[in-house]
Amino acid sequence: MVKVVLEEVTKRFGKTLAVDKVSLEIEKGEFVVLLGPSGCGKTTLLRCISGLEEVTSGKIFFDDKDVTALPPKDRNISMVFQNYAVWPHLTVRENISFPLRIKKVEESEINRKVRWASELLNISELLDRYPHQLSGAVARAIVVEPSVLLMDEPLSNLDALLRVKMRSEIKKLQEGLKVTTIYVTHDQVEAMTMGDRIAVLRSGRLQQIGTSEEIYHHPANLFVAGFIGSPQMNFIDVRLKRDGEELLITADGLEILIPSKYRALLEESGEDSLIFGIRPEHIYLKEERGTVPFDAEVYFVEALRSDTVVHANASFGKVVVKLPGDVPLKEGEKVRFFINTGRMHLFSKKTEKAFF
Amino acid sequence: MRAKKLRKVIIFVISVLIGLWFLIPVALITLSAFAVSEDYYNPHLIIPRHFTISHFYKLFFTLGAGHATMVSLLVAGVTIALSFILGVPAGYALARYRFKGKDSLKLVILATRMFPLMILAIPLLVIFMKMGISDTVLGIALAHTTMVLPFVILITSSIFAGVDVEFEEAAMIFGLSRAKAFFKVTLPLALPGLAASAIFAFIMSWNEVFVAAILSLQNRTLPAHILSTAMDSPDYFKFTAGFIMAVPALIFIYFARRYLVSMWGISLK
Repeated sequence: MVKVVLEEVTKRFGKTLAVDKVSLEIEKGEFVVLLGPSGCGKTTLLRCISGLEEVTSGKIFFDDKDVTALPPKDRNISMVFQNYAVWPHLTVRENISFPLRIKKVEESEINRKVRWASELLNISELLDRYPHQLSGAVARAIVVEPSVLLMDEPLSNLDALLRVKMRSEIKKLQEGLKVTTIYVTHDQVEAMTMGDRIAVLRSGRLQQIGTSEEIYHHPANLFVAGFIGSPQMNFIDVRLKRDGEELLITADGLEILIPSKYRALLEESGEDSLIFGIRPEHIYLKEERGTVPFDAEVYFVEALRSDTVVHANASFGKVVVKLPGDVPLKEGEKVRFFINTGRMHLFSKKTEKAFF
Repeated sequence: MRAKKLRKVIIFVISVLIGLWFLIPVALITLSAFAVSEDYYNPHLIIPRHFTISHFYKLFFTLGAGHATMVSLLVAGVTIALSFILGVPAGYALARYRFKGKDSLKLVILATRMFPLMILAIPLLVIFMKMGISDTVLGIALAHTTMVLPFVILITSSIFAGVDVEFEEAAMIFGLSRAKAFFKVTLPLALPGLAASAIFAFIMSWNEVFVAAILSLQNRTLPAHILSTAMDSPDYFKFTAGFIMAVPALIFIYFARRYLVSMWGISLK
């Protein structure tokens, strides 16, 4: 397995800028997920790494080797496609052994490897049938033990139950093989559960790369904060107010003290119109240490039974609250909620970057 | 319920009528082709009582239809080969690549069909005579290729468009160059469609009579030959000639239809 380094990789299609100066470093054996909404450039970026697309500018390195100009067959990579691309005119065995045959591997070795790969994927009985499935595509990809394994939304064609099962199978497989893996998806649950690190992309630009913990609890900007997490983070327009030594953020019916450690940062920015962010699960019904209250009227309740998602109208705007378990709130009820200020975020309205 | 059954009956009757419309002339030709001349001319007999193959024998050997059939087959073969060598890469390019003027190019390819080939035939004859290929299989095949090429290009381009590009990309990832991926993956998957194009090309070339008649004198294709010979012969020869014309096409389609049908997803017993 190799380390993958991207230096300002840019890809243009005619006038459209699909990938915009993306720089990334992926460590040996790491499982990195490229995450983002449709059209954000993640698949294009993956195809640039594979060599199926030529980059417009920038460089790609595998360890110290500059592979930017190399065709896909010379990069020693494997890829699992969204529609599997398992060749229908060949049997499963012929599909899996194909990469080895091209490399002119010896016949007995081919048989050994095919048996190993098909057992790992639990498809040894299917070897002489004609293929339709993901497992065949993955077996074919791992049989050469590539330097880099690329996966383009391989689970998107599966139903929900199968998807959950295959998520853990693929992750366990990768952990066992220790192959550097780059995985594209628009599903944040896949990203959060599978990736060692997650790279969030939007309109061709890298927004943030980090572990699921970093992305979730310390989003770098408004987009990442809003994209990750379901239900979406609450965003409230607030104003900065000075009260003697203290700094406060205020909105209609809400007033929160800024911790002193952030005071200098905010004063430096010179902005006084900001966006306040708090995740729905960090708003409670019960007062606790470090919480700030506000009042709201319930207008819709989603009773998921495992949790209860409450949509309410506060004086500063709409808010979504996620409460554990079954909470019997009714539409029209007036409730007092409590915000956990230890979990709050503040974003610049101008740059959309997070202060904290 | 009754309306449904009535509809079924009506559709059945119409299908039978349409079937008869096509089959009766074929049956007539077949019967007349094999009929003994006395029975053919006998106005009281619809279905002849005695059959003979002497007409075929005469047509083939004495009157040169055997030679002409050979020429027709060769011309069709060369036409298929030439139109494929030129047309298949063109079809692939149209299916896979994006380039300037692609749509206009498609239009131009189709537009060449607007030009009546017969008008082209005489100037073509002059040029061929100067080149020394008039009255040869190659000469006629070249003319037929121009006629057939637009179809081959457009049919193969839609066939290739139907082969998922991911199959080729997977082959390229796993060690093949673009060209090798085309031969090992795309071509096998496109085979049914290519078979359809080949049938098209064959039938167009086989049936083409005017250009072949102008471009050849001694080495005539079957339709051209029949135009000159059988038209001056007794009637039953015309039927025999018609039968000879129809049979190879039928045989060709019989063997190639399995590829056509697999393309359309129906299974054949």
